[in-house]
Amino acid sequence: MDWSSVFNAGTLMNTFNTATIVILAGLGCLMTEQAGMMNIGIDGMMTVGAFVAAVASWAFNSWVIGLLCAVLAGLLTGLFYGVMVVRYHSDEFIIGVAFNIFAVALTTFLLRTVLSQSGSFHPASGTVQNLPYLSFGKIGGSDINISLMVPLSWLLVVIAQVFIYKTPAGFWLHASGEHPESLRSVGRNPEKMKYIGSVICGVLCGLSGAYLSIGYLSTFTEGMSAERGYVAVACVIFGRSNPVRVFLAALLFGFIDAAGMRMQGVIPPTLTATFPYVGTILMMVLLALRNQAKKRGKRV
Amino acid sequence: MKSKERQQYLLSLAISVILALMVGALIMLATGHNPLEGYGALVKGAFGTRRAWGNTLYKSFQLCITGLATAIASSAGIFNVGGEGQMYLGALASCYLGARLTGVSPWLALPVCFLAAILSGAVYAWIPAVLKVKLKINEVITTILMNSIAIYFCSYMANGPLKTMERGVNTGTDAIDKLFRFNRLIPGSNLSETVFWIAGISLLVWYLMSATTTGYEMRLTGQNERFARFVGLKADRLGIAGMLISGAMCGALGMFECFALQNRFKPDFSSEFYFDGMLVAMIMRYKPFGIILMSFFFGALKMGATGMQSQTGISSELILIVQSIIIFFMAAEQGVVARLQLRKTRREPISKGG
Repeated sequence: MDWSSVFNAGTLMNTFNTATIVILAGLGCLMTEQAGMMNIGIDGMMTVGAFVAAVASWAFNSWVIGLLCAVLAGLLTGLFYGVMVVRYHSDEFIIGVAFNIFAVALTTFLLRTVLSQSGSFHPASGTVQNLPYLSFGKIGGSDINISLMVPLSWLLVVIAQVFIYKTPAGFWLHASGEHPESLRSVGRNPEKMKYIGSVICGVLCGLSGAYLSIGYLSTFTEGMSAERGYVAVACVIFGRSNPVRVFLAALLFGFIDAAGMRMQGVIPPTLTATFPYVGTILMMVLLALRNQAKKRGKRV
Repeated sequence: MKSKERQQYLLSLAISVILALMVGALIMLATGHNPLEGYGALVKGAFGTRRAWGNTLYKSFQLCITGLATAIASSAGIFNVGGEGQMYLGALASCYLGARLTGVSPWLALPVCFLAAILSGAVYAWIPAVLKVKLKINEVITTILMNSIAIYFCSYMANGPLKTMERGVNTGTDAIDKLFRFNRLIPGSNLSETVFWIAGISLLVWYLMSATTTGYEMRLTGQNERFARFVGLKADRLGIAGMLISGAMCGALGMFECFALQNRFKPDFSSEFYFDGMLVAMIMRYKPFGIILMSFFFGALKMGATGMQSQTGISSELILIVQSIIIFFMAAEQGVVARLQLRKTRREPISKGG
């Protein structure tokens, strides 16, 4: 096997491009995680964002409007999650899993019944406007194009890190999950913080979905999130809700995905497609083993 | 469940189902369809012909076994979202043997295939179960990712090493020996002899869950793991047992699907069958009797939806939307009831005072 075909500038570009889906969703997920809620439903939020972005970008012939609509749709999904979990105390897992099924069903239904297309969105007239690309020319034999969303997502990682660890609001968000009663005693409403966490989560997942359909690809396909939302949840657990660590975990996922794609000449694509999922599970197992070893160490 | 609690639950369920169907009607209206026509086509699609009846009945049995598979794992405290993958592996293993054991008496071959199916399903469910009880790794994430792994792996096998040489078959393993296949009960429909097996397994699991000590201990573990440990139950073992049975049931369904309907393993044999049953189990809050009963209602909805799609052009996904809305309502039910009661108690003193 020629390793230079697997590890080169092109792989690095693919790593960044793929990882961005998980980075954005992971940032969203960690906002709810910080507020003490485990949001399994980010996969569905991404699906909704992806659908809305593709359709709006096509309908208004503008990626800006596509992105804005996806953010708005994400905001609504986040609000829905907040209402169900915070206001009505529904089981987080049931809501999450049901929301993922709901999102795929709703977008597929709309695609088939309203847009009269099935499988993926290929409008007869007009085009789905994509997010702009930053072109770096040829490096090592492959064209290096990076979506605008990639550096934007990195910026968001920094912002999230500062927000959570350096601002009072970030502190309250964390406290609303960890010590809601202490937060209440200093005159802050933990429920409000949880709502804010859910809504930010929805917005970021909407962005992630938009990037998926009008950045990473240039159309919407049924069930296109392909469980990447769950990978993002795994990255959040792995990164212990710390934005920078979640970012690194997402990059690792992106690298496994990209390297797998590059190995398709040697290993059948149906097998390389499993790499990111296997990698994610192994990541979680390694973390759990390390945590257990630490605990044992403390006891002794 | 206490009788008052049960009454409230049944009332909420009925309201949720009706409201969700109304939302479905609104969606039809919004997308330019007549809801009466839509639901009419749905009823006709489910019960219009003998063939439709057969398909509806089979779908119900399928929902029943997958719903109970979700329920038994959930009752022991593990949420098995990975039934789809377990089903794929069970199907692949049994189909491989079903094609290889040609010449062997069906009396020997079928049990061997069945064993292979339930073992592969159970082993694949065992992995996330052990990760959950020993390492506290969230099972929802592992099981759903393992679905993708299993489906990709099986599709690789059916397109690669195990691909049949038969002409006219694009993807799939070798055909299962004719002697091992199940006969259809209503020609042209999906209803086959497998329903007796499914019924048998379902009754067994129902009995296990509601009438045995093990079932009771599992429920105790699922409801309050710390308490279960405190009274000396082996909570880890019960959780794993629940997942093993759940995986075995999914594996068995994988075999039934292929041995009765596909006649070989094809990577597209299931259209997320497990998730349909899982939704029923979630709606019925993992109560085995409720799942068995409501399987027939949701089976009719599901089968009718395909009829509705071909008759009126309304995508059958609508029923999936309706089902998830029922779950949203049911999940929020206790919170809503509590809020209503709170409002009532707040209002009462005022009305008395006035």
